[in-house]
Amino acid sequence: MSRAIQVRVSESVVRTVHVEDGVQSPLEMLPVLAPDRMADLLAAELEAQGFVRDGDTARRVDPDGVEITVDLKGATVSVKLSGDTKVKESVNLETRVAVETQASAEERLRDAAIGELEKRLEEKTEALRREVTGKLEKKLGDLRSELDQSIGRATVAALTERAAQLGSIQELVQDDAGNVTIKVKL
Amino acid sequence: MTDELDELDDGDDFEMPQVAASEADLIAMARALTAPHAFDVWALLAGSRSLPAKLGPTSARLIGDALAQVWPALWRRDGARPGASIDNGKAVRGRGWDRHPPTPLVFTGSTIALLRWLVGMPLATASNVDKLPARALKIGDQVAIYLALDLATGPAQSTIAAQPMVREAPLAWLGFAHLMQGTPPAFDSLATGAGAVVVEALSLELAAKWRTVELGKRTTTEPEALVRLGAVQDATLQGFMAACDKAGRRDLASFVIDAALPLLDRNIAPIPSDLDLTKPLSVRAAARLAAGALLRGVQLWSTWDERHRGVRFLDDDYEAAQLLLSRFERIGRHGADRNAQWLAELASLAPTTPTPADRATIEAP
Repeated sequence: MSRAIQVRVSESVVRTVHVEDGVQSPLEMLPVLAPDRMADLLAAELEAQGFVRDGDTARRVDPDGVEITVDLKGATVSVKLSGDTKVKESVNLETRVAVETQASAEERLRDAAIGELEKRLEEKTEALRREVTGKLEKKLGDLRSELDQSIGRATVAALTERAAQLGSIQELVQDDAGNVTIKVKL
Repeated sequence: MTDELDELDDGDDFEMPQVAASEADLIAMARALTAPHAFDVWALLAGSRSLPAKLGPTSARLIGDALAQVWPALWRRDGARPGASIDNGKAVRGRGWDRHPPTPLVFTGSTIALLRWLVGMPLATASNVDKLPARALKIGDQVAIYLALDLATGPAQSTIAAQPMVREAPLAWLGFAHLMQGTPPAFDSLATGAGAVVVEALSLELAAKWRTVELGKRTTTEPEALVRLGAVQDATLQGFMAACDKAGRRDLASFVIDAALPLLDRNIAPIPSDLDLTKPLSVRAAARLAAGALLRGVQLWSTWDERHRGVRFLDDDYEAAQLLLSRFERIGRHGADRNAQWLAELASLAPTTPTPADRATIEAP
C-alpha cells in the first residue's frame, strides 16, 4: 500500500516590465517657402513651446513622460510614452499524491506554478500598457491643438516673409478665426 | 446519365450527349461559372466526388461549350453598357464589342484543374481540402477563378481564395483583395489585350465589391484585421494602377472612382469608429491609416487629374486626357478635397469623436 504525501511548490519572480505606446502623424504644412526655411520657421515656433532643436528634429519631453519628436523636414510628429514597473509575484501550490509519484507530481506542480506566474506577469504588463495608452490618449487632444497653433503661426510667418519678397507690406490683419490678410504694395 | 463514357443512343435525330456521372458535376460546375442561378452551387461546392484521371471527349467538348459562354456572361455583367476606352491615346466609344476587336479568352489546363478541384473537394469546411497548386495562368483561367470566387460564399469562398493557384491570379486580387494575404502578382496582364477588356466588363462590379468592403471598415472593431486588409488593398490598388499607367490605360482604374463616388457624395467616410479601445494606440493608429487604401487610390487619380488638365489640344493624347478628365469630373475638386480631408483625419494625431452620422451607411447598388 502506497503512502500519501503532500507536495508543496513555491515559485517567485521579480521582473522589471517595460511597455511603450506611441503614434506618428503627418503635420499639414503649406509649402509657402522652401522646405528648409519652412522647417526653420516651424522650429522657431516649437522652441517657443519648449522644444529643443537638434538638426532636423525638435524634441520635448513633458513632465508626465510623454516624448514628442517633430521631424521638421519630413513634417511628421511622433508621440510616445513608455512606462516601467517592477513586478514581484509568488505562487504557492500544493497537492497530495502517492509517494511513488512524488517526482512527477512536483514537476507538474512546478510547471503549473510557472504558468500561473507568467499569466500574472502578462496581466500586470497589459494593465501597465493600458495605463500608458490611456495617459497618452488623454494628452493627444491638447497636443494636436498646440501643434496646430504652432503650425498656424509658422505659416503666417512664412506668408509674411513671402509677401515681403513680393513687395512692401502695407497691412497685416489676423482675425480670431486665424484668417490672415496681407496687403502688399508691389 | 450513365457511368459508361460516351455511350450514345442510336436512331434519334438528336443525340443527347452522355457522360459519366462524375463528369456531369464537372460540366455543371463549368456551366455554373457563367450561370450560377441555374445550378445548386452550394451542393456542387460542398460535396466531394472522385473524378477520373482523364476526361472523355464528350465531357471535354461540353466543358469547352460552357467556357465559350464566358464572354457573353461578362457582357451581361457590365460589358454591354455603352462606354469609352483608350486605345493608343485616342478615345474609342461604343459597346464593349464595338470598342474592341474579337479577342479570344485563352483557357488552359489550369481551368480544368480548378474545376476538378472545386468538384473534388468538400469546400463547406476548410479541413480535408487539398491545396490547389500554383500554375501558369492565362486570362481565361483568371476569369474562371474570379467567377468561381464570385459564386461561392462564406467559408467556401475563403477556402478558394486561400489556394496558391488563386493567389497567382491578379484578377482574383482585383475583385477579392479583402480575402487575400501576402503580396499580389504583377497586374500587367490586366492592363493590355483581353485582360483589359475583361476589367472593363467587370468595372461596375469591381466598384461595388470595393465599396462594400469600404462600408464594412466603419464597423470593424479589430485593428489588426484592418491593418491586414489595408496592406493587401494598398498593394493591389497601387500595383494595378501602376500597371494601367504603364500601359497607357488609366481608364481601366475607373472603378476606383465608381467605388468612392457614392461615399464621397454622401459624406460616408470609411473611418472605423468602433476600434477596440483596449488595443494599443499604435495599433489603432496603424489600423486607421490602413483604412484609407481606396482613398489613396482616389488621391492618385487626383494627381493624374492635375496632369490631364495640362494636356493641350495639340498633344497626341489630348483625347485620352479629355476622357479621363470627364471620368474624374464626377468626383471633382469638392470630392477630391473631401477625400484629402478624410485621409488627414485617418492620419490625425487625435481623431475626432465619432458622431451618429459617422455610423450612417448606404445600400450596395
